[in-house]
Amino acid sequence: MMLRQIIAVTGIGLRSLPQRLWESLVIVVGTGCVVGVLLSMLSIIEGMHRAAARLGDPRNVIVVQRNIIFENSSAIPRSAASIIANAPGIAKAKDGSPISDAVLIAYVPTLLRKNGVKSNITLRSFGEKGAMLQQGFRLVAGRMFQPGKHELIAGAMANSQFTGLGLGDKVILPDGEWPIVGIFTTGGLLDGALVGDTGTLMPAIRHKSFNSVMVRLDSPAVFAAFRTALTTNPSLSVDVMLMPDWLAKGSAGFSAYFHAIVYGVAAILGLGALFGCFNSMYTAVESRGREIATLRALGYRGFPIALSVLLEGAVLSITGALIGAAVAWALYDGVMSGFGSDVFILAVTPPMVAIGLAWAIALAVLGGVLPSLQAARGAVTEALRAK
Amino acid sequence: MMKYLPLIWAALRRKPVRTTFTFLSVTVAFTLFGLMIGLGASMDLVEKKAHPDRVWTLPRFDQTSMPVTMARRIAKLPGVKDTSIMSYVQGYVGDPKNQSGLIMLDDAYGRIFSDWPPTPAQWDMVRHDRKAIIMSRKLATQFHKKVGDTFTLISETPRADGGKAWEFRIATIAEDAPELSGGYIIGNYDYYDKSLPLADQGKMNEVDLQVADPAQSAAIAQQIEKLFANSGNPVQSTPENVIAASNYGGADINAIARKIALAGLAMILFLTASVIAKSVRERLAEFATLKTLGFSDTGVTALVMAEAALPCLAGAVCGVIIAALLSQILPGILPPNFSVPMPTFSPSVLAWSLASACAVALASTALPILRLRRLDIAAALSGRI
Repeated sequence: MMLRQIIAVTGIGLRSLPQRLWESLVIVVGTGCVVGVLLSMLSIIEGMHRAAARLGDPRNVIVVQRNIIFENSSAIPRSAASIIANAPGIAKAKDGSPISDAVLIAYVPTLLRKNGVKSNITLRSFGEKGAMLQQGFRLVAGRMFQPGKHELIAGAMANSQFTGLGLGDKVILPDGEWPIVGIFTTGGLLDGALVGDTGTLMPAIRHKSFNSVMVRLDSPAVFAAFRTALTTNPSLSVDVMLMPDWLAKGSAGFSAYFHAIVYGVAAILGLGALFGCFNSMYTAVESRGREIATLRALGYRGFPIALSVLLEGAVLSITGALIGAAVAWALYDGVMSGFGSDVFILAVTPPMVAIGLAWAIALAVLGGVLPSLQAARGAVTEALRAK
Repeated sequence: MMKYLPLIWAALRRKPVRTTFTFLSVTVAFTLFGLMIGLGASMDLVEKKAHPDRVWTLPRFDQTSMPVTMARRIAKLPGVKDTSIMSYVQGYVGDPKNQSGLIMLDDAYGRIFSDWPPTPAQWDMVRHDRKAIIMSRKLATQFHKKVGDTFTLISETPRADGGKAWEFRIATIAEDAPELSGGYIIGNYDYYDKSLPLADQGKMNEVDLQVADPAQSAAIAQQIEKLFANSGNPVQSTPENVIAASNYGGADINAIARKIALAGLAMILFLTASVIAKSVRERLAEFATLKTLGFSDTGVTALVMAEAALPCLAGAVCGVIIAALLSQILPGILPPNFSVPMPTFSPSVLAWSLASACAVALASTALPILRLRRLDIAAALSGRI
C-alpha cells in the first residue's frame, strides 16, 4: 500500500519535471560541479597511488638509514650493504646469489615540456639484480646500458614529461654527457625516471654510500625474522620496511594534506550546491502545492509524499553526479601528469565514482529534508484554495 | 532611480526563503571563488616579487656541498654585483617526526635579500651573535617558542665536538612571507662553519648572487654553469624569477584554482537563472502593469537585472569577506607543515569577484528579459499567460 503510494507520487513528480526544467537543472548542475571537481582532484591522488603501488611487490623490502623519511637523504655504507645482502631470508637467483640490490638515487635538473619550467627528474641505479626487483620491467626500445660505460636508460614517460630524454639524447652528469641508449617501462613511478648502472654512477655522482638496499624475500612470512636480524645487528643502523609500507609512509604526509585540500574545496562547493538544492526542492514543493494537497485529500499519507520529494531530489542529484563523473573521466582519466619529479597517469575509478554518488545522495537528502516535510505537513485546505 | 528601489526590494521580499537561499548559495560560491582567485593572486605575487637580478647557484646534483672558493670565483665574474653563501642544517626537534632545518647565511645575505621579512635590525642580531637565530612566526608557533628561548636541532651533520645537538638562541621572531610558505629559521654561517670538523669547513650548499643588470642574469647564470661544468662541482644556476615559476613541482596551481572557481560560477549561474526565470514567470501580470503604466523596455530590463544582481553582488561581497577571514584564520588551524600559500586579497580579487557576479546576473537574466520584451500586455494583464 505504502510502496504503491510512493511509486505513484514519485512517478507524478518525475513526469512533471520538464515543467520545472530550470529548478531541476540547478540540482543537476550543482551536484555535477561538486562531483566533477571532487573526482578531478581525486584523480591526481589516485594516479600517484597507482603508480607507487606498482613498485610494491609484497616480497620486496627496502632497507634505509634509521629515522629517515626520504630515500635521498638516507645513507647505507658499502660495508652495511654487503651485511644486508647476506642476511637470512633473502630469495636466491638461479646462480644462488641473493636478490639484493644497493640503490643510488639522485635528481637531475631538467625542464618540463609543457611550460619550460625547471624541474628535477629522478635518477636511480640498478645493480646486477636491479631489473629483477622491478615488477614488470621491460625494455621497449634500444638496449640496456652496459656496466662500466657512461650510459643511461630512460622511463617511457620521462621524455613526454621532460625535455631531452628520448632515445639517443644526452644527459649532463658530473662526468660529462651520458647518452640514453634504451627506453623501458614498468607501469609504475619508475617510468618517469632515469636509470643507470650503480657501479658506474657511484663515482660519477660522487656518492660514498648507497641510499638504500632493496631485497626480495623468500616469502612475506620471513619478513619479521629478516627485520630483526638487521635491526639487532650492532654494526647496522637501519630501518627495514616492506616496500608497500615504505611507499605508503613516504606519501602519507603529502596524501593527507592533499586529501584535506580536495575535500575542503569539495565541501565548500558542496555547501553552495546544498543551498541551491534546498532552494530548488522548496520551489518544487511550492509549485506542486495544489497537486500534493489533492493527493493528500485523496487519502495519500504524508510519509510517501515526503519520501517521493526526497527521491526526486536524489534522482536529479545522482544524474548530476554521473554527468560530473563522466566529465571528470573524459577530461582526466588516462592523462599523464607530473608532480615534482614523479610522473604518473591520472585515474578516475569506479570507487571514486561511488564516492561522488555518496556525496550526491547526501546533498539530496540534506537539501530535501525540510522541503519534503513541508510537503507532507502543509494545510490541505489552504493549499487547495491557493491560486 | 528612486522609484525602482522599492520595486526591487518588494520583488526580493516576495519569496524570502528563495532570496535567502540564493544569497547563501552565491555567498558560498564566492567564498570559494575568492579563495581560488586569491590563491592565484598569491602565486602571481610570488612570481612578481621574484627579483630577476638575483641568481641562485646550487650543486647540479643532490644537496652536496661545494667549496666556498667557488663563490669567490663567481664574485669576480663581470656583471656580478654581490655574492652571498648559504648552508643548510637538516635535522629534527625533539622527535624524529618533527623534521626541521636551518639556513645558515653570511653577512651579505641581508643585503641581497633585503626584501625578505627580517628587518635590517633583525639581520644584525644574527650577524653579531653567532648563536642567534631568526625564526619565522609560523615555526615559532609550531615549536611553541618565544624570543630568548633555546632551540636545539638534532642533526646528522657531524660536529667538531662529535655531538649531534646544534644549539641556538632565538634572538627574534620575524614575519612569514608567501614565498617562504613553510616558514624559515635563519642562522649564522660562520658559527655553523666553525662548528664543523676541520675537514668539512669552508663549504657551502648554495651561492646566491646579485647581478648589476637584470637583463644579463640568464646569461650570467649560463656562464656560471659553464665555468664549473667540467670541474668536480658542476652547478645549476638559475635566475630567481625562473625558480619562482617552478614552485610546487611545476603543477599549475593557478590553472587548477581557476577551474574550481569556474565550477563555482557555473553552479550559481544556473541557480540565479532558475530563480529569476521563476520570479518573472510568476509576475508576468505585474510586469505588464508596469509596461502599461509607461515603464520602458529598458526600465523593465533594468528592474529584472537589478533583482538578479542584488543577491549576486551582495553574495560576492560577503563571500570575498568570508574568504579573506578564512585565509586569516586557516594558518592557525591547519597543521604546521601545510605549506600551501595562503590566498591574498588585493582590490583586484574583489574586482574580479564583482565583475563575475555581474556577469552571472547578466547571463541569468537574458532569457527572462527576452520574454518580457515580447510580452503580450493584454494577455498578461488578463492572466491568460
